[in-house]
Amino acid sequence: MNHSDSQNKNQVTRRSFVRLTLGWLSATFAVGASAAAAVRFLVPNVLFEPSQRFKAGKPEDFPDGSVTFMEDERIFLVRKGNTFRCMSAICTHLGCTVNRANQGYHCPCHGSVFDEQGAVKGGPAPRGLEWFLVSMSKDNRLVVDKGQRVAADKYLVL
Amino acid sequence: MNDHSLRKFYGWFTALGLLVGVLVVMGYYRDEYREWKDYQKKYIQEEIHRAATPQQKAQAERIALQIRQVQLPDLKRVDRCTTCHLTVDDPSYGGYPQPLAYHPLHEQHPFEKFGCTVCHRGQGRATTTADAHGNVAHWDEPMLPMEYIQASCGQCHEAADNPSAPELARGQQLFEDSGCRGCHKLGGTGGVLGPELDRVGARRSPEWLRKHFLAPASVTPGSAMPPQKFSQTNLEAIVLFMLSQTGEATPGYYASMKVLPNTREGQRLFQQKGCIGCHSVAGQGGKIGPALDDVGMRRTPEWMVQHFRDPQSVTPGTVMPKFGFTEVEARALADFLVHLREQSVALSLPSLMGPVERGHQVFKKYGCAGCHGQDAKGGVPNPNAKTAELVPDLLHVADGYTKDELKARVLKGQKEITALDTKRPPPPLYMPGWAGTIKDAEVDDLVAYLFSLKPKGEDVGF
Amino acid sequence: MKTPWLRQIWDRFARTRVGRSIFRVGLPQSNLEKSQAMVSSFLLHVQPAKVHKHALKASYSLGLGLISLYLFFILIGTGVLLMFYYVPSTEKAYDIMKDLQFVVSAGLVVRNMHRWAAHLMVLFVFLHMCRVFYTGAYKRPREFNWFIGVMLFLLTLGLSFTGYLLPWDQLAFWAITVGTNIAGYAPVIGPKIKFLMLGGNIVGQESLTRFYALHVIVLPAMALLGISVHLFRVRKDGGLSRPDESGDVVEQIPLGQLPTNKSYGLMELARGTTPQVGKNPEDEVFSWPHLVFREILLFLLVVAVVLFLAVFWNAPLEEFANPIHPPNPAKAPWYFLGLQELVSYSAFWGGVVVPGLIVTALVALPYIDRKRHGVGRWFASERVVANTIFSVCLVVAVVLTIIGTSFRGPNWGWVVPWHQSPAITEGH
Repeated sequence: MNHSDSQNKNQVTRRSFVRLTLGWLSATFAVGASAAAAVRFLVPNVLFEPSQRFKAGKPEDFPDGSVTFMEDERIFLVRKGNTFRCMSAICTHLGCTVNRANQGYHCPCHGSVFDEQGAVKGGPAPRGLEWFLVSMSKDNRLVVDKGQRVAADKYLVL
Repeated sequence: MNDHSLRKFYGWFTALGLLVGVLVVMGYYRDEYREWKDYQKKYIQEEIHRAATPQQKAQAERIALQIRQVQLPDLKRVDRCTTCHLTVDDPSYGGYPQPLAYHPLHEQHPFEKFGCTVCHRGQGRATTTADAHGNVAHWDEPMLPMEYIQASCGQCHEAADNPSAPELARGQQLFEDSGCRGCHKLGGTGGVLGPELDRVGARRSPEWLRKHFLAPASVTPGSAMPPQKFSQTNLEAIVLFMLSQTGEATPGYYASMKVLPNTREGQRLFQQKGCIGCHSVAGQGGKIGPALDDVGMRRTPEWMVQHFRDPQSVTPGTVMPKFGFTEVEARALADFLVHLREQSVALSLPSLMGPVERGHQVFKKYGCAGCHGQDAKGGVPNPNAKTAELVPDLLHVADGYTKDELKARVLKGQKEITALDTKRPPPPLYMPGWAGTIKDAEVDDLVAYLFSLKPKGEDVGF
Repeated sequence: MKTPWLRQIWDRFARTRVGRSIFRVGLPQSNLEKSQAMVSSFLLHVQPAKVHKHALKASYSLGLGLISLYLFFILIGTGVLLMFYYVPSTEKAYDIMKDLQFVVSAGLVVRNMHRWAAHLMVLFVFLHMCRVFYTGAYKRPREFNWFIGVMLFLLTLGLSFTGYLLPWDQLAFWAITVGTNIAGYAPVIGPKIKFLMLGGNIVGQESLTRFYALHVIVLPAMALLGISVHLFRVRKDGGLSRPDESGDVVEQIPLGQLPTNKSYGLMELARGTTPQVGKNPEDEVFSWPHLVFREILLFLLVVAVVLFLAVFWNAPLEEFANPIHPPNPAKAPWYFLGLQELVSYSAFWGGVVVPGLIVTALVALPYIDRKRHGVGRWFASERVVANTIFSVCLVVAVVLTIIGTSFRGPNWGWVVPWHQSPAITEGH
């Protein structure tokens, strides 16, 4: 490349080389950035679904030894003494809502049976009922987070 | 043709390419660095600072920067205030400077069910301070200044019933006493000289309302409303009451919660449901059911509530029907009955009043004082009216009219008021015809009341 | 374009198996490749292998047609993005507009780009029409292309008008109320057209649904079709109009007697005749790179301008649409304000006769003005009559629009814009 020879018009000059490169780089960057921006645009920042995380109520609202079925959230809130835990009411087989039986839980759709701790005792369910994280909020309410699954032995102890 | 002829464009190409690149970067920065992220970062720093254990610290560090919102489909809102006001439900932040301050009193009004803007107004969907607080162009509902916050209680709760909103109750009392209903309809009752006030709180700002009370013609050119003489505190109270009239319907869940269980509400229900038709108080009323004067000594509130829920369950064979009261209504009625003996409520039941007292209630109900003055004493200006440029007082109507004439006068009204000087504009205030608005029986009582206004000792007689 | 390093990278890719399956030609080097790049490409073959030098002159066409096309592309791009959030419901639309501003990443910029590109497109399509008129480029053989252009202009106005309603704020609601009222003034069919447009008698949910359907699919599809035919016709009518065309007779020349020595053109390989307008090979250059590079440059310019406006100025969003509270005055979108001004004098003359005459005159123009002279030059002296008439109409339209925009206030009374008389609104 002949930088200094501007007589030969067929050769690119350093100036036009820099300009062109810069121009192409900027334009490519702009196109790339715009595409990225378009994708980011499409990623929702807020969801209008019911929140996974919600306040279930005050601890006093759940008597000792109770299993409270919360229909809208499809969970069971279980209290024993000073411990609280939350189990999903969604059968792990095909997603029906299980019913509370005398001991444990029973799914009306295909007959899956779960014990008190949610483990599978019979029926086609492949795994036990999910446990969700229970915590306390700053204003003294039980908070259930269905987005956080926990092991089937995690209790909230007050 | 050689390619070099394009060389003259290379400069343009570079410049434009760079310009587009710069603009994209600028757009990115504007988008990425939002106001609320700063507030959230401050909150996270504070939480980390306060963390007592490593787990708490880790938990604080994990807090994600995101927009937070409360969805209220029944109220047709989405409130994003908690994006910046992150600690409204955390008592440990009491007294912190905004936006990280704790919001008290949310036991009865949890944020998940009420959000923020139902009480505080503003623009809930916004995520910048200026837009969210709503004092911006093209947003009709800016945040309510804190001195008027009791107005929001009145959107759902009856003004007089609410112990937490005394200013609101005072404002309502002032409204009734000043006779505003004489010209303005509120809740369907009132006169027609002025506009209906059911939505005035949604349309007008506190400043406008204040100016309007003191000098109506300054904000509404050509208004016939006489300037009101309120003291400063009274002015604020009645402005507050006006602000509470937003005309918002309280949907389902909220309507069922809005009745506050207290004696006043109980009394209101007692009168509304016509209990006096079967039961008696102070010797007056029906004989079918027992007298209620000392029911508070004989029965517990729990018994009464159960009785309202299902009369047959506590009094088998009773003819008392099941009224279908909600829990709160039942508790309010029980509260009222328990205190029946203590209070002089018996005398304020309309069915127990005499015609003159009832007439006085009618006078208050339809706001006659708005034109004829407090206690019908007059003093309200009516420019260019022959009657000394005032709306006449009613103290001597017994002298000038028979009962029938007065009744006819009230029902028919008088559209044309004789002017003092025909060259000046006609008097703005006139007497509307109340036929169809005031019921027949009420007019009789009203006439009885007006006749009773003749000052004692003036009975010179004709 | 001389950037050897870029060329190398490109060539390396283009000569791989994958590259060759997509791009038959690498970066064109030889004349053959340059022609093939145009002719054998789906996207590029709307352009000829060679263009006349005159067509490249920015001072001639000002690139107005291309600018309009680019604005259309920007509108499609931003419009599709907006469609991922927007719902044409009277209860939801306004809230979604607020969400775009506050919650969606880049939401504000995308919406702003859409709005400003829309206004610019109406303006530039109009300017393009003026250019074509002043250069006499509607004359034979381009009469039908002019007609398609007029239709495209009306489609542009329709697209802008239907889109105007979608935010469902006071500005949108009342502008469309005024606009459809003007449409309703036509005799006999007016009220029926208004009823059809609104899906009823009022501007409500049905109107919003229809306007949305028109705005996102019906009108864009018609516009794309129209643009395709429009560009196709430009090719077949001999490219952009030029001065040395005037007086030439378009004739059907049998192949084999072609006056040019065009190589690599499809025409030589086929049988039959071809419409041929006088062309000399010295006056032509290869589209690659001369035309294509200019087009890219112009695209960058259009994007830069739209992006600049979008970053610094927000599209308006007023209060939620309130059928009970019209603003005073209620104004149509700016491009209809001239009409609204006329309508304020007479509904019939202003709303029906004048617009009807304008469209008829425009469509009939090439068939009335049959003189062949004056093509390919701005303000040709032979066309002084035609140019004057058009200019007068143009000035009147602009003046009326300015009056409607700035000099009309409450109750459509006269206001002086620099005296700041506020519109009558609720006291606050």
